[in-house]
Amino acid sequence: MSDVTLATLPTEERTSANGNGRPEVVSLIAMRDIWKTYEMGSEKVHALHGVSFEVRKGEYIAITGPSGSGKSTLMNLIGCLDTPSQGEYWLNGKNVSEMDDDELARIRNQEVGFVFQTFNLLARATALHNVELPLIYGGIGSAKRHEMAKQALAAVDLADRVTHRPNELSGGQRQRVAIARALVNHPSILLADEPTGALDTHTSQEIMDLFERLHEEGNTVVLVTHEPDIAARAHRIISIRDGQIEKDQVVR
Amino acid sequence: MALDTVRANKLRSALTILGVSVGVITIIFMVSIIQGLNKAFADQIESLGSNTIFVAKFEPSFGKPPGPDEIHRKDLTMDDAEALRREAPSIAGVSPIHRLLAGTAHYQDKQTDTPIVFGVTPYYEFVHTQYAARGRFINDIDMQDRSNVCVLGVDVVQALFPYEDPLNKEVRINGNPFQVIGVMEPLGSFFGQSRDNSIFMPISTFDKYYPDLPFPQTVFFIIVRPQSRAYVKSSIDEITDILRRRRHVAPNEKNNFGISSQDSLLDIYNQLTGATALVLTAISFVALMIGGIGVMNIMLVSVTERTKEIGIRKAVGATKINILSQFLIEAVVLTGIGGLAGLLVGEVASVLMNKYSPLPAYVPVWAIVVGIGISAAVGIVFGLWPAWKAARLDPIEALRWE
Repeated sequence: MSDVTLATLPTEERTSANGNGRPEVVSLIAMRDIWKTYEMGSEKVHALHGVSFEVRKGEYIAITGPSGSGKSTLMNLIGCLDTPSQGEYWLNGKNVSEMDDDELARIRNQEVGFVFQTFNLLARATALHNVELPLIYGGIGSAKRHEMAKQALAAVDLADRVTHRPNELSGGQRQRVAIARALVNHPSILLADEPTGALDTHTSQEIMDLFERLHEEGNTVVLVTHEPDIAARAHRIISIRDGQIEKDQVVR
Repeated sequence: MALDTVRANKLRSALTILGVSVGVITIIFMVSIIQGLNKAFADQIESLGSNTIFVAKFEPSFGKPPGPDEIHRKDLTMDDAEALRREAPSIAGVSPIHRLLAGTAHYQDKQTDTPIVFGVTPYYEFVHTQYAARGRFINDIDMQDRSNVCVLGVDVVQALFPYEDPLNKEVRINGNPFQVIGVMEPLGSFFGQSRDNSIFMPISTFDKYYPDLPFPQTVFFIIVRPQSRAYVKSSIDEITDILRRRRHVAPNEKNNFGISSQDSLLDIYNQLTGATALVLTAISFVALMIGGIGVMNIMLVSVTERTKEIGIRKAVGATKINILSQFLIEAVVLTGIGGLAGLLVGEVASVLMNKYSPLPAYVPVWAIVVGIGISAAVGIVFGLWPAWKAARLDPIEALRWE
């Protein structure tokens, strides 16, 4: 599932690729002329106009930009929390831009691992239950769920915090639980929105080290941040300004 | 998962549960009373005498006064009773009865104002299967002579002769002197009302003293005892034929007299309680609706409070149906607990009622099933909208909510 390259697609799809508008080079993420328009009363506000880019499997990308630039909107689109007003978004060979709510929920469950600035853990649930949550909605049986969640927690060095609740954990630990939750389903992309925004410098470094390690293990990481030093840890930086891509450069 | 939130908001959940409980208690309690009454009534009707048929000028009813057309009907007579006895082959016995609703009886300084005074024939004992326990019952000679003799029910004996033997004593019934010739065996009570507060005298004597008292002060009716239970139907047919002929009812007209057996009495009773049950059911449902509105209120608060949680769940892949069912299950758990609690209290209340009050109560199994079913249904109905509200939340908005 996570191993998506051109070779994994069915032959027919590959050969007819140009005929049905499918992107020529199959990337993990392919955004084609994406527009997102909000209606504020009678006025139309273009949060994004004409954004196009592609992400290959195994890339480590930072999306940066000042607040109001449209990077949150872009993140919501990449995370399949929302659909574009116009344009095409292909994620792992699937055309997300035409999906309904339930299909989007399924894609979020299978293909996207979210990490939020404020962790967004269920306050009353244990670390284990929090990590299990995507598996529950993925319809995985409880025995296997426990096993997978424990593995994911071990992968972020929290094997000894399985039964702790969020209020019994430090900020860094909470964020690591959230990362474990994001990873547990082996998603195509790890999508982090200001993951260090609520953490001190030292813990931020720890979390960023963890992201780097996860990237080295083969995960595709997309980081949304406005902090230049955080963005600098990525291998490619896409800068957004006024709803458009200002700069897209490989830095490593 | 659903129980977590119930536990997390104990007081709030308890209050919500209480609302539903009250509704279910109302239902169980009402049903148990109605069912208890029905059961008791059926038992009592059965005990009134085996399969007797009741013939009167008026249609059978419970306390409902007869309509104007019924009032103007021709009275039934002693001759009608005699004709039934002679002509109907399915009939074993006929007992015409003239009844005075309340008479006054004196003995020396003692007095009772409540006994029912019956003018009866010697057939009474056989038809009603109630016999004189002491002394003797009214006989044909008493009838012929219009003698001032009477047989007392045990209540009247207790009221007038607490320390004496009543036999052969002279009592005054509505001021007229009567000799006590016997005491009836006790019948017990019917719905808390004693059936032994009665005075029997020859029907000929009764007519001598109360010839012209109008309805409802006096009533004349005929009790018929068929050969056996199997003859109830044919007896009714024969009585109908004979009375229609004697009262000159044209073939296309309705009977101008009332005829009823225990079965038809039960039918009428069930109709009556059916209407009552309907009203009581409506009341119970109002109580349940109020409980349900409580559930909806709590669920709406819960949805708002947990907007963030819903956002998180949606972000990690919960579909609308997932969220909808989560909140629906929570609502059903709440109302289900309420229903069970209400059931328990209602059951205990009906047991206590049986023990400590004259009103009978009985909870049938179907009421338990319906009680639980309805409380679950209340959860679904009143939980649906809040759950749908939760399911429809935009994940981005929900995640942003603090």
